[in-house]
Amino acid sequence: MEMYDKIVLQLPYKAEYVSVARLTTSGVAYRMGFDIDTVEDIKVAVSEVCNRLINVSGNCPGAYEIRYEIGESSMVITFVSDIDSAGCIFKDDEEGLGMEIINAFMDDVEYCPENKDFILSMTKRIEEKS
Amino acid sequence: MSSELTVRTEKLEKGAAVFVSGEIDIYTSQQFKEKLYNIVDNSSDDLTIDCSGLNYMDSMGLGIFVGALKKMKTADRNIHIINMKDNIKKLFVITGLDKLFIIH
Repeated sequence: MEMYDKIVLQLPYKAEYVSVARLTTSGVAYRMGFDIDTVEDIKVAVSEVCNRLINVSGNCPGAYEIRYEIGESSMVITFVSDIDSAGCIFKDDEEGLGMEIINAFMDDVEYCPENKDFILSMTKRIEEKS
Repeated sequence: MSSELTVRTEKLEKGAAVFVSGEIDIYTSQQFKEKLYNIVDNSSDDLTIDCSGLNYMDSMGLGIFVGALKKMKTADRNIHIINMKDNIKKLFVITGLDKLFIIH
């Protein structure tokens, strides 16, 4: 079984803190060895989820978590929210630009999960250099 | 820590040029929308948007570009986008929006 490190970032549902999520994502992804272009892609994917969470939160006072699980060859980013309405954040926007970007930039995306403690999980793998 | 955005306009002999610098995200998108729509509403020719200083954009910015283009198209005008960085151009390509705008 692959060993991994875990980093957790907790942010309020406020637009001004999405840049913090991007900065953290950059730092983690660079450290893992992703190339610059891929780091940019992961940053945008993370932002898209944050944007959606903030939009569906209705300015509620709580917080959401971004959990980074760092393996040797992949990074899993999981979003956890404390608001009930956040269960399926892309339900009404599956054809939207945000979801299109996330699907294009990440290798695996699990959204609208049933009976799980997260609202969205996405994985990016490091491509092996040939 | 919050994102920063500047939007500057220059009148050209024909149309106007808009210089966008910084980041267009959920925090700055309202500011960008108001400024860009205002420029669109107050110009009569094609618009050139210079993105050489634009470092980050996501779907929030794309949506505003599309909204501005819709306004322009009602008067048979176009938006030209110049000097886009590769990471931003990639967003237009994967969403198919590169076919709607004139990208130089």
